[in-house]
Amino acid sequence: MSMKEPPRISPAMTSAPAMIKTKKLTKSNIVIRTTMTVLALLTIYGFFTFNNQNLKFWPSLMATFANFKTVFIQPHFNHFTFSQAVEGVTVTLALGLLTTIVGAVVAFFLSLLAAENLTNKTTSNIVKTIVAIIRAVPTVLWVLIFAIAAGLGSVAAVIGMSFHSISYLTKAYSESFEEIDEGAIEALKATGAGWWQIVFQSIVPNALTSLISWTFMRFEVNFGVAVAMGAAAGAGGIGYEMFMAGAFYFDIREMGTITYFILAIAIVLEILSTQIKARIRI
Amino acid sequence: MTTLLEMKHVSKKYGNGTVALSDVNFSVNEGEFVSVIGPSGAGKSTLLRCINKMIQATDGEVIFDSVNISGFKGRSLRKLRTKIGMIFQNYNLVERLSVIENVLHGRLGYKSMLSGSLGLFTNDEKQQAYHLLEMLGLKEQIYQRCDQLSGGQKQRVGIARALIQNPKLMLCDEPIASLDPSSAKTIMDHLKNISDSLKITVLINLHQVDIAMNYADRIIGVSKGQIVFNGAPSQLTSGDIKTIYGSDASNLMINIENHDRVKVAEK
Ligand SMILES: Nc1ncnc2c1ncn2[C@@H]1O[C@H](COP(=O)(O)OP(=O)(O)OP(=O)(O)O)[C@@H](O)[C@H]1O
Ligand SMILES: [Mg+2]
Repeated sequence: MSMKEPPRISPAMTSAPAMIKTKKLTKSNIVIRTTMTVLALLTIYGFFTFNNQNLKFWPSLMATFANFKTVFIQPHFNHFTFSQAVEGVTVTLALGLLTTIVGAVVAFFLSLLAAENLTNKTTSNIVKTIVAIIRAVPTVLWVLIFAIAAGLGSVAAVIGMSFHSISYLTKAYSESFEEIDEGAIEALKATGAGWWQIVFQSIVPNALTSLISWTFMRFEVNFGVAVAMGAAAGAGGIGYEMFMAGAFYFDIREMGTITYFILAIAIVLEILSTQIKARIRI
Repeated sequence: MTTLLEMKHVSKKYGNGTVALSDVNFSVNEGEFVSVIGPSGAGKSTLLRCINKMIQATDGEVIFDSVNISGFKGRSLRKLRTKIGMIFQNYNLVERLSVIENVLHGRLGYKSMLSGSLGLFTNDEKQQAYHLLEMLGLKEQIYQRCDQLSGGQKQRVGIARALIQNPKLMLCDEPIASLDPSSAKTIMDHLKNISDSLKITVLINLHQVDIAMNYADRIIGVSKGQIVFNGAPSQLTSGDIKTIYGSDASNLMINIENHDRVKVAEK
């Protein structure tokens, strides 16, 4: 044994209770635990009560994999050409881009009204509530709602997708604005600067990074939605080709081609977004 | 001596019922260097902000440059604020922008909505910004982004932003509280120099009594929202310190007698 051991604090020396909890049982903790328990129970219940229609599990799984193999290993062009596929992708990208730009511009002005530190609490709450209601309804549903007036097609898709983008980006932007340090606004106010001057000289430069990354994120979402809208709402583009290939010609090999196209675009968007984010953070 | 600023029976009660100021009366002469001292929560920041109406006083009158500004709103308030510069403990710069862009923000109150929003400044204004930065020793950092500056440098940018307003009064809310002693001294020297050479009146909140005594022409002691001392630094006694800081005074390690002796020795 070593001669000198450093003095240790033995449990007896402190007045701490024998069992120490690191988490206090707060209201939010209870809510989280209850939610998790309910979800776990529902999952177990779900598995026991599946209606499997006497489907044999293993053969079905094998058949699905066989289909996957056909889709991804043997893609081909049949009802359209390579250049038509490129055109379809471009249309879909354009749909995503247009709705994101419309959403971003309108959301910018709305979020100025929604940010509590830029307006008053009443205005902020009104705008936030309206926007929350719009956001609660899925994009697809908005497109179908607008299709009543405009008919199924690209017009309904553009309006419906823009609508949802506006509400989503308003929330995102206004939260970025609210995170800005109070002092950055106070200092300009004290120089005698007006509201718009404060917005463009202090708020926007301060929040630029998050504005750009939120917008790009929404663009990625809108691209995905645009694919689905092509199929579901007849908005054209690669999604429509996919719908035709899948539900009309039952040509799963062509589905594979389209999937590869969409995958390629998604990867390009991802790379672009990381590049942009890395660059604006400097 | 002409009076630049006069506070008459100014009170401030916050929405939650906190009385931050009650019946504050004092006046400041043109060119004076006045320091406000007092414990945390005494109402120093509130007092300063009632002058440029960043906080609206609940009661009383504020007379600035012989005009009662208590009811000022909108355009007239913006115009008034151009005449009052302000610097802050946390500098409050737009960190992503360059030094000169931050300095030019001091001109926004003079500009139209559009040219101000777009950041279109005249060459004259840019020249002025350059000269101020040169004077404050930041010539090399003009195009540097503000998040790359040290605390002392940031505060000098803050001073330049206030000076480019051509202010008659500078309000300083604990400008050296986040700085090391040597940067703090640089800032205090600059402020004193501004007051002496440009004849700008300075009203400065300070935590450090010794610094206040060294630099100020006059000291105003605030405690619990009331002015409990108003006089020259030489008149400040340990008793006054006790009145201002309460029972904590002995912890402040302020030795007034010693301080006086240093001052005498300097003379
Ligand atoms: N926005 C506000 N709403 C409610 N009460 C406030 C608000 N701002 C300040 N107060 C209260 O008013 C009193 C004075 O605050 P003030 O910030 O003026 O003190 P201070 O002397 O500047 O303190 P410090 O030295 O810590 O900066 C404090 O009791 C504070 O809690
Ligand atoms: Mg304060």
